[in-house]
Amino acid sequence: MRYLTIALSKGRLAEMAMELFEGADIDCSGLKEKTRKLIITDEKNKIKFFLAKPADVPTYVEYGAADIGIVGKDTIQEEGRDLYEVLNLGFAACRMCVAGPMELEGKMDQMTITRVATKYPRIARDYFQHKRRESIEIIKLNGSIELAPLVGLSEVIVDLVETGKTLKENNLVVLDTIADISARMIVNRVSMKMESERINKIIEVVRKNLENN
Amino acid sequence: MGKWKIYTPDGVQDILFEYAYIKKELECKFRNLFRKCGYDEIETPIVEFYDVFSAEKDLIPQENMFKFFDENGRILVLRPDMTIPAARVAATKNKGKAFPLKFSYIGNTFAYNESGGGRQKEYTQAGAEIFGVSSPEADAEIIATAIKAVLETGIKEFQIDIGQVEFFKGLMEETGLSDEKSEQIRRLIDKKDFVGVEQLVNSHSIREDLKSLIFSLPKLFGSVDVIEKVERININKKSYDALENLRAILSILDDYGYSKYVSVDLGMVQSLNYYTGIIFKGFTYGVGFPILSGGRYDRLSENYGMSCAATGFSLGVNMIMMALERQKLYKSVPKVETLVCYEADARKKAFEYADKLREEGKLVEISLFTDDVNKAAEYANGKGIKQVLLIKQDDIQDVSVQ
Repeated sequence: MRYLTIALSKGRLAEMAMELFEGADIDCSGLKEKTRKLIITDEKNKIKFFLAKPADVPTYVEYGAADIGIVGKDTIQEEGRDLYEVLNLGFAACRMCVAGPMELEGKMDQMTITRVATKYPRIARDYFQHKRRESIEIIKLNGSIELAPLVGLSEVIVDLVETGKTLKENNLVVLDTIADISARMIVNRVSMKMESERINKIIEVVRKNLENN
Repeated sequence: MGKWKIYTPDGVQDILFEYAYIKKELECKFRNLFRKCGYDEIETPIVEFYDVFSAEKDLIPQENMFKFFDENGRILVLRPDMTIPAARVAATKNKGKAFPLKFSYIGNTFAYNESGGGRQKEYTQAGAEIFGVSSPEADAEIIATAIKAVLETGIKEFQIDIGQVEFFKGLMEETGLSDEKSEQIRRLIDKKDFVGVEQLVNSHSIREDLKSLIFSLPKLFGSVDVIEKVERININKKSYDALENLRAILSILDDYGYSKYVSVDLGMVQSLNYYTGIIFKGFTYGVGFPILSGGRYDRLSENYGMSCAATGFSLGVNMIMMALERQKLYKSVPKVETLVCYEADARKKAFEYADKLREEGKLVEISLFTDDVNKAAEYANGKGIKQVLLIKQDDIQDVSVQ
C-alpha cells in the first residue's frame, strides 16, 4: 500500500486537526513531540504527516506532494489553488471582513475606495473587482492591519475578524462581510481519483467524529 | 551588459541529454501509434493570430496568452492550445476531403501558468482529433487511443475519468436557475465543495429530487452504476440523452477491453469552454495533475466557417515524463559502446571501420584526441565507454582500460 500524505497548518489548526485524527484512530502523536523530524508516520494506517506554513499547505496539496491538507478557508481563497475542498471542519471559525473607521459605517456604497490594506491581496482584489466592480490599490501588509486606516495608509482594510475586539478598541467597524472562514480539509485532485477509497474513508471517519462532538 | 544572458525565462526550461532522449522517444511512440490508428499528422504554426483563440467568449482567457504584434499591428499569440488550431485547419484546409478527418499532432504550447509541479509555461502536447463524426464510436475511439498512448509509455496504473457536460447543463436548465447561479454551482461542484453547494442550492426553491441530486454530484463518480442510479431520477431529455451517450461510450470501450481503465464522474464539470459532450481526464500516481484530457467539441469549428462535430484528446508529454520518473519507469538511455581512435595514416580505415560497427547497430564515437590514445582512454573511462579501439594501418588493437 502507498503512503497517504497529510499536510497540517502549523499552529492552532494543527493541534485541533491532530485531535480530530486521533479521534478517528489515526495516530499523529509524533507531531506533538519536540523532535526535529519533519515527517512522522502512522505505520498502521500508512499515513505520513508533516507540518507546514499555512499558506504553503494548498501548494503542497495542489502539486500532489501531500494528498490531503488541513488549512483555513482564508488561505485556500488567498492561494486560489486548484484542489478539492471536501470537508468543513468547523473549528477556527471567523469572518473575512472589510473594516474601516466608524464614520464610514453604512456609507460604503456612496464612496469610492481607492486604497485597501490587507494581508490577503487576492481576496481583497476579488471582492472589490467582482462584487463592488471597483479598481483599487492594494497595500500588502504583514500584520497589525488595523493600523493602516488609523495612520492614513488606507481608507479601509480587509482582514479576519474573530471577536471584533481589536477593531472596537481602535474605533473601527465591520463594513461588509466577504466570507465565513473556518478550517477545511482539502484533497489533491488526482489523489481523490487514484486513492478515492482510502481518502473517502478518512473523510467519513473525520466527518462522523465531527458530528459526535 | 545583459544581466539575464545566462538564464532562461521563468517557466521555460532546457530539456537536456537523457531527458531529451526519453522525451523524443515518447513522442516517437505517440507518432507511430497515431499513424497506425489512421491519423494524419499536422503541424500548425507556433505563432497565430490572437483572433483564432478569442473567436468566442472565454475560449482561452486572454490573460493566459503570450501576446505580441506583427508588422501591421495585429495581435499575435504563441499558441496556448493545439485543439483550436486543429479545428481551424479542419474548417479551412479541408477542400473536398472525405469525412471523418483524423488529425494528430505533437507540438509545444504556451500559457501563463504558475510554474512548478511539472507545469511549465511551455509544454509539449501530443494528441489526436476526429472531425465530422458525432457518434459515440468516435468518442470511444478517441478515449481508446488515449489509453493506448498511455500504455505505450509504460505506465500501467492509471485511470480515465469520463464526464458529460450536457448532463449538468440539462440539470441546471431544469432547476430554472440563472446562468450566473449555475456557473457558481458549477464552480463549487468542480471544487467538490460540498458545503458551498449545499448553502447555495438551499437558498433557492428547486425541486427536491433535483436538489438532492445536485448535493450528491460531487460524489457521483465510480463505475457504470453511477449512471444507473442517476437515470432513475427524471430530469429532462438533455440530461437523459447525455447519460445514454455516456453509457454507449462505456459499452464500446468495454469491447476495446479497456473497461478497467475508465470510470464515470458526473461531477466533472470543468469549464473548458468549448466542450459540448463527454469530457475526460487521465490520472496516474506521482503527479498531482492530469496527464491527459479531452472531450467532444461540436461547435468549435463553427468559429472558423464550418459546422462540424468533433472530438479529441491531448497528452501532456511533460507530465508523463514526470510520472515515469516518479514511478521509476524510465528506460535507460543507450550509451556509446565503442570509441574508435586511429593512427594518423589509418584515418580512412578508422572512419570505414566505425561506420561498419554502426551498421551492425553499435553506438560508436570517433576519438577527437587524434594523437593521444591515453587521453582518449581517459575520456572513454569518464564517459563510461567500455571499448576503446586503436586503428592502425595493419592492425586493430583493443586498448580499453578496465
